[in-house]
Parts: sequence; C-alpha cells; structure tokens
Amino acid sequence: MKMVKAEGLTYEYIKMLETDHGTEEEKVSALKAVNLEIEKGEFVVVLGHNGSGKSTFAKHINALLEPTKGTLWIKGMNTKNGELVWDIRQTAGMVFQNPDNQLVATVVEEDIAFGPENMGIAPAEIRRRVDEALATVRMQKYATHSPSKLSGGQKQRIAIAGVLAMKPDCIVLDEPTAMLDPVGRKEVMETIERLNKDEGITIILITHYMDEAVRGDRVYVIDDGEVVMQGRPKEIFSQVERLQQYGLDVPQVTEVAHFLRMEGIDIPPDILTVEEMVGALCQLKLTT
Amino acid sequence: MIRDITIGQFYPVDSPIHRLDARVKLTMTFIYIITLFMINSFIGYFFVIGTLLAVIKVSKVPIKFMLKGIKSIMLIIIFTAFINLFMTRGEQILWQWGFLSLTLEGIFLALKMCIRLVLLIIGSSVLTLTTTPIQLTDAIEYMLRPFKKIGVPAHEIAMMMTIALRFIPTLLDETDKIMKAQQARGADFDTGNLMQKAKSLIPILVPLFISAFRRAEELAMAMEARCYHGDENRTRMNRMTMQRRDYHALVMGLVYIVAIFGLRYVSYLLPFII
Repeated sequence: MKMVKAEGLTYEYIKMLETDHGTEEEKVSALKAVNLEIEKGEFVVVLGHNGSGKSTFAKHINALLEPTKGTLWIKGMNTKNGELVWDIRQTAGMVFQNPDNQLVATVVEEDIAFGPENMGIAPAEIRRRVDEALATVRMQKYATHSPSKLSGGQKQRIAIAGVLAMKPDCIVLDEPTAMLDPVGRKEVMETIERLNKDEGITIILITHYMDEAVRGDRVYVIDDGEVVMQGRPKEIFSQVERLQQYGLDVPQVTEVAHFLRMEGIDIPPDILTVEEMVGALCQLKLTT
Repeated sequence: MIRDITIGQFYPVDSPIHRLDARVKLTMTFIYIITLFMINSFIGYFFVIGTLLAVIKVSKVPIKFMLKGIKSIMLIIIFTAFINLFMTRGEQILWQWGFLSLTLEGIFLALKMCIRLVLLIIGSSVLTLTTTPIQLTDAIEYMLRPFKKIGVPAHEIAMMMTIALRFIPTLLDETDKIMKAQQARGADFDTGNLMQKAKSLIPILVPLFISAFRRAEELAMAMEARCYHGDENRTRMNRMTMQRRDYHALVMGLVYIVAIFGLRYVSYLLPFII
C-alpha cells in the first residue's frame, strides 16, 4: 500500500478582492490536478517557490484541508472521510514552519505528551513514548525545561518529538528550517535524516532550500499548483535552466558545474556536493 | 529589560509544602481566605499569623518573597486604612474635623482591615510561590470538573491558562522587538504627558495584536494536527495522586477550621479581650 497517493488532487478557494466597485470574488486554484505516489520509508522532497502551493499540499496530507476535486489517500485512508480524520493525523504527523507557534505546553515533556494525550493513550504508555521521543531527538536533558528558553533548532526538535510520540508512519515537515539559524538547520536536518534511516519513517520535506532537497530520495517540483518535475535529485538538479524558470535556485556547486559546462569544460551536469565537484575536477586534470 | 519579568512566582526549592498536591493547597488557600473574613478578634489574627509564619517556615521560601506582593497593593491598603479610620462612626470620638472623625472603633476596624488584606496577599503568595503554574492549572481543571454539568468549561479554562502561560514570554519578546524596531525609526516612548505616552503605544499594540492573532491561528492548526479535539477521551501523562502527606495536610486544615470557630466563640464570651 502506498503511503501517500494523490489522484487529480485539486484545491480551490474563493479570494475576496477589494476593488473600486466593492468586493469581488475570485476563484484561486492552489493545487491543480496533482498526481503523485509516495512509498513507505521514502524521503521525498517537495520543492517550490513561495506561493507555489506546496504548503497547501502539506496540509492536505494531514487532512487539515479537504480536496475540492480528486482524492488523496494516506495509507489507504481517504482524507475526505470525516471518520478517519484522527487516524490520518496520527498516521501522518505534521511539523510546521514557526517553532514558537506549535508548542502548546509550558514544559517540554508536557508538550511532547500533548499528542498522545489527545489520542487517549494510557498514562504509563505516554510516559514511555515521551522518554523515547526525547531520546530520539537527543533532547533528554531538556525534559523539564520551558520551551521559551530553548533555541529555534531545539524547539523544532521538540516539535518533531511531539509528532514522534504519536507513533506516525509518515512525517510531513512544512519548511521546518525556514526560521532557523545555520546551526539549528543542521540539527533539524540531521534529526530528520536519522528518523528516515533508523526508524524507517516516511519523510515528506517541504522546502525551498536546495542543499536540503539534495538529501532526499526523490524530489517533486511544484509550480503554480502543478507538479512540473519529478525524479531523483541528480536528475532534477542537472536541469539548471528549467529550475530557474520555476523561480528556484540550484545548489551552488551544481550552478558552478553548469557554468563550467557552458564554457566547454567537460564535467558531469549532476554534481550536487562539493566532494563530487572536487572529484570531477581532479578527474578532469588527469584526462587532459 | 522586558525579558527579565518572571512569569508565575514559583520559588523552586524542595519542601513539604512544595510537595503537597496542588488541589490540597488550592483548597486550603480557599479555606484560609474564608476564615480571614470570619475572624473578628485580635486573638484570632494572632492565631492566623502564627499559623501562617509556621507554614512559611516549613515552605523554605524566604519571607521577603512573601512580602513582595504587599508592595503592589500598598496603595489599596493605605486607602482602606484611611477610609476606615476617618469614616467609621462610633461613640468614643477622639478627634473631629468637618466630616472626618477619628474614633476608637475606627482605629480598631482600620487595623483589622489592614491585617486582613496583608494576610490575604501573603497567604495566596504561599500558594503561588510553592506551586508551579502547570500544577495550578491542573488543580483548577480538576476542581472545576463538578461544575461542568452546569456548563462551566473546566478543560477549556485550564487549556486557555496553559496557552496564556506558554505565550507570555513569547509575546514579551515580541513586544521588545517591536519597540526596538519602532525606536529605530524614531518612535519616542518616554517623553510627553500621559496622553502622548498612551498614544505612542499604538504603534506597538497594533503589530502586537496582529501577530498574536496570526500565532493563534497557526497554533490552532498545529493543535488540530496533533489530534486535539477538546477533552473528549483525553488522557493525561501526569495524574494527580493523593499521598499520605496530603491527607495529613487536610486533617491539619480541619484542625485549623475548628480552632478558628473556637476562637470566634471565645471572643463572644470574653469581649473585653477584643
């Protein structure tokens, strides 16, 4: 069974416009017939510039939004089915962009317990899950701290632990590093990768940072509500000009490789990391 | 500067009072406040002061923390004293000027009212200094539960208190940031008369409110994403359990109530000791 399967997923909303003739209604399509499939255990990256519809897509996975047309199944559960909402939210946890606006309690461990408490799990089991989740994000030291005293990266790791305590199969992260400093960003990315590799949790990472997108197994590029590109990171990022057309950057080294190729230097177009670039350049010297 | 404000005045030490169940402490504080208004003699007040001092001693919280609360209501105390001193009518008039008269009864009444207010503040400080805000909200939720039938939203009240406590530091930080941003653009918060000062707050309050609403919306969505749907089928990780010490404390509370009634009776029999 596919973890996430979307068929013709469309989301429209009515936007009120203030004009000289009063308010006018305008129908906006945030998602236009999106088709995609995500396997269990995959690390999928959804790329897109601001306003491309990637956050709208994320909220559909968590059944926070209901599709206008088309269907979305999470582990076989249709998100339109109202009775399954809580099961869907437990299966696909969600981490938001702003670390401050998703922590509920005044103590770290109480916050992590929030999800399981809502699910009506027995107190002893909640305790066990909270300790486990804290250990997974390596924040045991801060169990009894107040979230307001933590750094952005730490808060985001607590938010991830809060989702983990609900034992999800899949975690959707909606630009989790956008408001963090480089240190926090690194902490969060390492945590996400560990969850994927060690715990086998399906990760759907929504981002516009290219260096993060490179780490995924597969990349979807969304532009104006449509899936315009999909494939492995190497396949996607070698198409520098096309990405730029969608308002996206490519990783810096990939861009350098692109320019070098335009100057007639023969190196592969799908270089994503500095190490690969060093390798390719050394190779080049050997052959000439 | 604004970040240094501590929320809740919890004083973290380990003492028998700290370890008590918050529900017991809340009940006792409630009883204590009621008895303060039942006492009508100075002997009664001596007894209460003695008990309070003993409790403070056991709680290991320095007494100066207890007295901090009084400072903020000093004005109310002075005002109460003034009204009672000069407005009480009595037979033994000591001094009179216009409608103001100083009577023996007035002096006693003013003294009693002041003692009452001071004891009220110190007594409730004992509760807030020895109980964490979470314990307090949990206790309030528990105590309000019986009133759910008549439509008191016990869980919602407790949830609101928790969220408020959680966001006070966040919003204080934000206020600080907005103030600095406005100051950087030439805003002036410190000069001018009261009206001008109040007006200069508008550029702080408007962005603060907008951001608070935005935060509320995001938080609501995050809570929903974590399966929040009110207190239906909701469990708690930390359950409150009554220990032997809590029952001991309740028995002591009962003794205290009996003593207060006893003293009331004594002061009826022997009115001359006031």
